Parts: sequence; structure tokens; C-alpha cells
Amino acid sequence: MRRLLPLTLFSAVLLNACAAQPAAAPTAAPSVPAASSTTTDLSSLKTYLLANIGELKTSSAQLVAASNQYYDLAKASGFDYDDLWSSEQQAVLNAVEVGRAAWMQASPGYEQIEGLVAGVPSLAEYDVILDAGTSAAEGGDGVVPFDLSLADGRTLQKPGNLFGISERALWGTDPELTAPIQADFNRNGTIEFGEALPEANVLLSSATALDRYVGELQTAAQAWQPNESDAFTALVVMVPTMNEYFDSWKNSRFVAGEASTQRDFVAISRLADIQDILSGLEVVYDGVSPLVASVDSVQSQQIDQDLTSLKTFVADVHAKEQAGQQFTAEDADLLGSEAQNRATAITGQLSQVAAALDVEIQE
Amino acid sequence: MIRRLSAAVLAALVVLSLLPGLAGAQGASPASSAEQVRAALVQAQLDLARNPAAAQAALDHARATFDVQLAPQLEAAQITPAFAQAQQALEAGSAAEFAAARAQIWTGMLAASYAKTEAALAQGDAATAQAWLPLREFRHATRFSRPDADATKAVVALARAEITPEQAVLALRADLLDTYQARQTEALHDLQIAEGQSFGSRRAEAVGLSVGYFAILAPAYAEQRGQPALTEAEQAFAALQRAATPEASTAAQAHIEQVLQGFRAAPLGAAEQERRAGQMLRFLSLVPVEYSRGVSGQNVTKDLEIREAVTFRDGAAAAFNDLRTLLDERDPALAKQAAQSFATLEQMLTNASQRTNVPAAGQVQQATDNLLATLGQVMPDAWQQRSSAGDFDVIDAMLDQMQAAVAAGQYDLAESARLEAYAILESGPEAKLVVFAPQMKAPIEQLFWFGDGDTKGLAGLIEATAPASEIAAARTALNAQLAEAKVAIGGQNAPVAVATNAAIIVFREGLEAVLILASLMGSLKSAEMRRYRTPMWVGAAAALGFSALTWLMSRSILNALLAFGINAEVLEVYVSLLAIGVLLLITNWFFHQVYWTGWMASFHQQKKRLTGGEASKWLGLALLGFSSIYREGFETVLFMQALVLESTTAVVLGGVAVGLLATLAIGIVVFFVQAKLPHKKMLIVTGIMICAVLVQMVGKTVHVTQVIGWLPTHPIRWLADLLPYWTGMWFGLYATWEGLLMQFASAAFVIGSYVLAERQKHKKIETAVAQPRGVPSKA
Repeated sequence: MRRLLPLTLFSAVLLNACAAQPAAAPTAAPSVPAASSTTTDLSSLKTYLLANIGELKTSSAQLVAASNQYYDLAKASGFDYDDLWSSEQQAVLNAVEVGRAAWMQASPGYEQIEGLVAGVPSLAEYDVILDAGTSAAEGGDGVVPFDLSLADGRTLQKPGNLFGISERALWGTDPELTAPIQADFNRNGTIEFGEALPEANVLLSSATALDRYVGELQTAAQAWQPNESDAFTALVVMVPTMNEYFDSWKNSRFVAGEASTQRDFVAISRLADIQDILSGLEVVYDGVSPLVASVDSVQSQQIDQDLTSLKTFVADVHAKEQAGQQFTAEDADLLGSEAQNRATAITGQLSQVAAALDVEIQE
Repeated sequence: MIRRLSAAVLAALVVLSLLPGLAGAQGASPASSAEQVRAALVQAQLDLARNPAAAQAALDHARATFDVQLAPQLEAAQITPAFAQAQQALEAGSAAEFAAARAQIWTGMLAASYAKTEAALAQGDAATAQAWLPLREFRHATRFSRPDADATKAVVALARAEITPEQAVLALRADLLDTYQARQTEALHDLQIAEGQSFGSRRAEAVGLSVGYFAILAPAYAEQRGQPALTEAEQAFAALQRAATPEASTAAQAHIEQVLQGFRAAPLGAAEQERRAGQMLRFLSLVPVEYSRGVSGQNVTKDLEIREAVTFRDGAAAAFNDLRTLLDERDPALAKQAAQSFATLEQMLTNASQRTNVPAAGQVQQATDNLLATLGQVMPDAWQQRSSAGDFDVIDAMLDQMQAAVAAGQYDLAESARLEAYAILESGPEAKLVVFAPQMKAPIEQLFWFGDGDTKGLAGLIEATAPASEIAAARTALNAQLAEAKVAIGGQNAPVAVATNAAIIVFREGLEAVLILASLMGSLKSAEMRRYRTPMWVGAAAALGFSALTWLMSRSILNALLAFGINAEVLEVYVSLLAIGVLLLITNWFFHQVYWTGWMASFHQQKKRLTGGEASKWLGLALLGFSSIYREGFETVLFMQALVLESTTAVVLGGVAVGLLATLAIGIVVFFVQAKLPHKKMLIVTGIMICAVLVQMVGKTVHVTQVIGWLPTHPIRWLADLLPYWTGMWFGLYATWEGLLMQFASAAFVIGSYVLAERQKHKKIETAVAQPRGVPSKA
């Protein structure tokens, strides 16, 4: 009995010591993931993609209609924009406003699926064409693969992505795509941002090409059979692109103000784009989260939470921007760095899970 | 005093108010807790100028989270003072000082987590490592690069006992040190940008991060360059922290660049160096090929070809950057010249992309040739040999190009890329495939060409302009086959064959040890002499213990050599050659009876001398028992190391266990049952088995030597069709002239040695018979 007493005391001390360990202390046996044999139903990804492309097609068709209307007006005045502005001011303003509204509808619609389009190798080319490709002059490895033929017989060689060209034409940020006149929309005597007329040939051709490629994307998306590799690739490719978006936000007129020389992303703050992209990626993650949870439920929740937290972080900054807070370039730099750090942490977790599941992340 | 007390009470209240929430969060993982700390500190930084109260609350939250959830488990000495600095910075309203403290806290947590994970892995504690590893950073991922999962995989492999703790630690270091060095480079780059834009707090953060990352890399730096160099590097970073003027900062950065020149925290292993060099050479050689297809004179005709040329140059440049340190060590001037040539080539391709001053194909060819010539001068010979791993990388890259072309609807270019991938397979790995894994050749060819039955091949699909999804499916199937082929060419032994070999060797050596002991013990028969058996038993037992110790030491030495960067296959060749040499010697001695009778006579002489005198008898007999057994143990350990390098420790130990059990059984029969066994016959049978092991070991060693490119591979194609796949895995039989000739030579040596020994024996007998009695022999 005496011998039992120290043993009991020792056991009690040992148990107490164990209980006093921080809750995060590891369990004795590490969890060893095994490649899951469960088949994940990713049909929701395709449903989401097709539904959004359907809406995008409607918006791009509206943009084509408005561009046609504007083109007809310009053609009627022999492409003499001074004459056009003086004789058809209201009709021109209407056509431009309708075109801008359609663009403002189409662009965020695309951002909501960009994560999937850019991340899925079989669809990625459409992201270059529609939203991410550079012009031949800008160079790099993301030059668009098309030339833009205009109605007047000119050809713009590898002019850059179609949302970018149409945005520059509609908001007049690129003189080469804009009518060579000053159009004081609100007649206040000052030419302000956005007070410019598009070059009708460019607007019509870019809108028509945009609509055509959206149609091709729709066909490609219908043929796409989503699989786990595509879903993980989309997440790992797109989540860590935050600094690209924050960089373009920092250089845009939303931060740099009138000093900005950036021609794209002038109509909608990139902060809104980031939220749209993250919304799409949340849908993708929802699709694979059961698979992740099958090997590590804590990790699955963590990734889910981190994605939501990243989106909330960006939404908070956007809300402050909309409330009138003026961010300095240094603020934007810090915010971009923070968003990128969070995105990198999420991407890191996703890569570890993909490796554990033996899911290929495609190049 | 009262103010201080009030502040302390207030701080305590804040912490207490946070405790319930923190307690609720106690189940959070270390990574999650650290993320809370990091995010709260960023929030404090953002609020610092506009809302100091909110900033204070965020800092308090970060501090409390750290104190409650992390500090008890981490080395917090470097981190806690940084919180005090953050508090002072907040009170002073200094965003820059706050940013510096924030960076120190974060990198301090990374360093502590790394140390904790490394220590856990070194002790084989996968559970603790798994809990702490996620508190880490990753290389910043881009659209084109993915974070590594090597450390995570290593922890899982350790948990499954697939790798040793030493291997897990090496994988952790390679992954994390590489990551933190990349982050340090980024921090120094960000510092330049911040200074260029006069961002004070961003600058302070970048400085803090670069110093913090270097603290993690410091042990590797000291290991490679010595303590004085580390002290100089630390002084350079300290100067950067102190720099109050742009000039001082520029000078400090220049000094840092100088001390970091050529430093690579996680050095590439020899195999990885050769692989990256192989990629660099192959990718470079493809640049002018692609480029010439994309231009006509000085006009770009096919953009996709130009983009492919750019991709191959970028791939080659990335490999060059990974090897730059090593090339600098060999010849800094030539390495610099190569770097400049890479830049020239990049400019030429950029011009082509932008259609300004488009260079002619001949110019790009010339520039590439010049670069290859420079690299040829500076690269070691081993890097310039073609390796299968490098070939597979290029095949993979070409198939990526094929899919990109399909996605762009350019099926003619896709076909061209497919053909190039196939040509690389044909000119490189195919010959080895025919020999080492012939059963894999047909499925791979079918997937490259027109398929078979329901399986569709890439050539057929491209010809039919099939949808990208179908081509992607065929590619996935081909990837799986190529991955298997890569492993098969690399050479794996059947685990049962390795275990059987281990068992045979252990049993054979064990049998010899038992017979030596039995013979020595048997000669200590008299009642007076029997007491001397005890020290011999003690010596024999000690020899077994020392054999185990020798095993552990040799494993450590081999692991250290592997860690030092020596290729596992190269090590396998060296150790196998040593083992083969000893095996040949043993079989030769055995046939000439030098081995057995000579050793036995020597042991008996020693025993006689020892039992003849009184002094130190006990110790002497113990030493005799020890030396007679340890000799066998040492040989066995040597052979086992060769087998471990062919397979895994677990497989070899399984065979060792079987061999030991068989030896134990013989020992019991001999020593306790004292049965009379046919010793000679047993030695002959096991001797023949050892000869079979020798021939198999020669075949495997030749195979590995061919894999690393030290021996050429000349396949015997007709035999390759006849030999089943398993003959290679089980008997080391591969259809190459080199392998079969060497196996034949080793068998001929053994048989020749036997025939010679028999002839000498007969001659001796004949001489003895022919000699008249009483006349002493001349021999």
C-alpha cells in the first residue's frame, strides 16, 4: 500500500502536468493523411460558372447594342466628332451612358468567375483575352493572342485585353482610343475625369469581340468537366494574386487621384474586383472543402475562415474608401502587403493539403 | 509612481478582460494564434495615426494572445522586448518604430517555431513537429510558381516511419531555409522600393524583416562561412538598422549584398544540382529552335513560338540562378559572363515580343551558342552529363507547351511540341526504359501516338482536333506512366529480394561465428578449463553490442555524407563496390581454405597462449571471444549498409532479424542441444548462396552506375524482350552488355577461384601420395 502511494502521487502529478499543457499541444500520434478515395461532387462549380457566364453574355450583348447605336450616330456624322457632339449630344450621351452601364455590369460579372477562368488551364486563355492579357507593346508572357480588326479597315495588333480596351474607349483614358474632341458632359466648363467620347470603331470592335469571346468561353465552360485538380489549381493560382490587384489599386485614380496615369481599372475600384474574385474562389473552395475535411477538418475550417477573413479585410478597406477615407500610397502599400501575406498563408495551406491528398496542382 | 502603478493596473485589467476570449481560443493551433498576433499588430499599425485608442486595443490583444497562447511554449526571449518597443512606439506615435517592432515580433515567432519543429523532428517527434510546422511562411506564390510541401511531406513520412529523423530535418531545412532566404531577398528588394518612394514605416518594416529572416539563416551562414563571417554579416545588418541617412542605408545595403553574395542557406544536393544543370542546358538548347520557327527574317510570324522561346529562356535562367552560387565559386568571371549572356538573350526575346528590332534567328542561335559555350567552361563535368531526371523535366515542359497550344486552338503547334517531347524520350530515357522497365515502353508509346483500344493517344487526338479536355485526360494518363517509368529507371529492388539477401548474409556470417565459438568452446572441455568459457561468452556478447554500435555509427556517417550533398546513388556505388570487393575476397579465401582453416588455427593459437599463462587470462579470453565475433559483425554491417542504400532500413532490418533468428536456432542446437551438425555442408551451401548474392549485387551496382551515367548503357534489345521485368528487381539481371558481362566476370572469378583451389588441393594430395614416407615435403 505504501508503495502504491508514491506511484499514485506520481501519476496524479503526471496527469496534472498533462492537463496543464496548453490546449494546442500536439496529440501523441500525429495525424497522417491518406489520399482520399471519396469522389468530390464539383458540379456546383460548373453550375456557378455557367450561370455567371450567362449573365455576362447578357451584359456584353447590351454593350454591343449600345456600341452599335453610338457607331451609327458617328457614321451618320461621317465620324466628324465635333459635328456629332454638337448635333447629337443627348443621343450620344445616352448611348455612352448605356454602354458604360453595360460595361459596369459585365466587368464585375466577369471578376466573379475570373478565379475559375484564369485558374482552370483549359479556360485560362479566355482570361488573357478578356481581362488579364497585355498588349504587344507592353510585352511579357501574357500578351493577348488576337489582333483587333476595326470597321474602318484598320487593325490593332495585339492591343491588350478586351475589358481594358473598351474601358479606355468608354472613359477616355487612352487618346488613341478616344474621339479627338473635348466633350464637357455636364457643361460646367471643366473637362473632368470620364468626360470623353469613345472612338466609335474601337468601341464597336472591342465590344463585339468581347461578346464573341464570352460566347466561346460559354461553349468551353459547357465542355469543361470540373475535377479536383482544376479546383485546387484555380485556388492556388488565383488566391496569391492579391498584390497585383492592390498594386493596380495603388496606382489608380482611387489612391493616386489626378496624378494617376493608369488607363485601366478606372471605372471600378480594384477593391471591388478583389471581393468579386474572392467570392468566386469561396465557391470553388466550398466545392473541395469536404475533400479537405476528409483528411483534416481543422485545416478545412481554417482555410475557410482565412478566405472569409481576407475578403472581410478587403471589404473593410473598400467600405472606408467609399466612405471618403483617402488612403496614401504608403497605406495602400501596407494594405497590399498585408493582403498578400494573408493570401500566401492560405495558398501555403492549400498546397500542403493538395500534396497530402496527392492532387496535382497544374502548371 | 502612482501613474506607473495605474498603468500597470490598467494593463492588467485589459489582459484580464481579454482572458475569457483567449481561454476560449486556447484550442487554437500555434499557427492560428500567431496569425491572430500578426493581424492584430497590422491593425494597430493601420490605426496608429488616425485612432490611437483602437491601435492600443489591437496591440493589447496581440500581446495578450502571445502571452497566453504562445509564450509558455516558445523561446520568447527575443520576442517579449519587441512588444515593449511596440508599446513605446505607439505612445510616441512613431509608425516607423512600430513597424520595426512588428517585424521583430513576427520573425521572432517564425524563428522560435522553426527551432521547435527542428528539435522535434530531430527527436523523431512527428506529432510536435506537425503542430508547429504550420507556424511558418511560404515563398510568395505567383501565377507561375507554387509553394513547396516538402517539409509537410517529410513530417508525414516520419510519422509513417518511412524516413529517419535526420532525413526529416534535412527536408525541413531545405524547405524552410529556402523560403526564408527568398523572403529575405524580397524584404531587401522592398526596402529599396520603400526608400525610393520615401515610405518611412514600410522601410522600417522591410529592415526589421530582413534582419529577422537573417537571424533564422544565421546558423546555416556560420556553418558554411565560419563565425567571423557571421559576425561581419550581423554587423552589416546592424548598420542597416542604425542607418539614419540615405547614404548610410545605401552603404549598409551594399555591404549586405557583398556578405550575402553566393550564400545559399539550403544548398542544393548533388543530384538536384545535376538536375537543374540538365534543365538549364536542355531549355537553353530549345530557345533557338522555338525562336527560328516564330520568325521569318526580322519579322515575327508566330507569336506562340516566340512565347515558347521566352518560356524556355526563363526556365533556363531560373535554373542558372539556383546554380549561380556554385558557379561563382568555380569561376566568378565566367559566371558573370554567363549572367550577362542570359540578360542579352532576354533582351533579344523581349524585342521580338514587342516587335521592335526583331533579331534574326541566326543571331539568337549565336547568342545561345555563346552562352552554352560559357556554361560549358564553368560547369563541372558531372553537370554536363545527360540525366534521365532532366529529360523527364523537359518532356513535361514540352507537354505543357502542347496543352497551351491546344488551348489556343493551334493544333499544328501542339503536334510540333508533342513530337519534340517524344524525340527527347526517344533520344534519352527510352534506351534505359527498354532495359530497366520494358513493360512500360508500350503504354507510353501508345499514349504518345494513337492509343490502343479505348485508350486514346495524343497524336490521334491532336490529328482529330479533339477538345482540350480530352487531350488533358490523355496527358494525365501519360503523366502517370512517365512518373512510373521515372521511378523504374531510377532502379528499385524488390524489398523481399533485399530482405532475403540480408538474411542470407547474416545467417552465413552468424554461422561462421557460431562455428568459431563452438570450436573454441569445444577445446575447453576439461573441468579445469570450462571456467574459461565464461569470459569468451562475455566477449562474444560484447561483440554483438559493438556490431550494433557499428551499425548505428555507419548509418550516421552515411547520413552525414548524404547531408553533405553526396548523391545517394553515388554513395550506393561506392559502398556496393567495397562490399563486392570484400565478398570476392571472402569467397576466394573460402575456396582456398585460408579463410576458415587459417582463422581457426589463429584463434586456437591465441587461445592456447592465453590459457597457457595465468596473467590476464580472463581479459584475454574475453578479447578472443570479442574479436572472433566482432570480425563477422563488422563484415555484416558493411554488407548491410550496401543493402540499405539499395532499399530501406526497415526492409534490411527485417532480413537481419530473420538471419539472426536462424543463427540463434543453430546456436541453440550447437551449444545447448550439442547436436552434431554437418558443418562443412552447411558452409558450402551458404557459400553458394553468398555467391548468388554477389552476382546479384554486381548486377545492381552496374545498374546504378549506369543510372548516374558513370557507365554507358548498351541494351541487348532481343534479350530485353525475353527477360521478364522481375529478373531485374530480384536478381539484378538487366539486358545490357555492361551488366551481364560484369556479372559473368564476377561469377567466372568465383568459379575460377574454386577450380584453381581444387586443382591445387589435388596437386597437393597427389604430391603427398607420390612422396615416399619419411621424406619431408618441400612445400
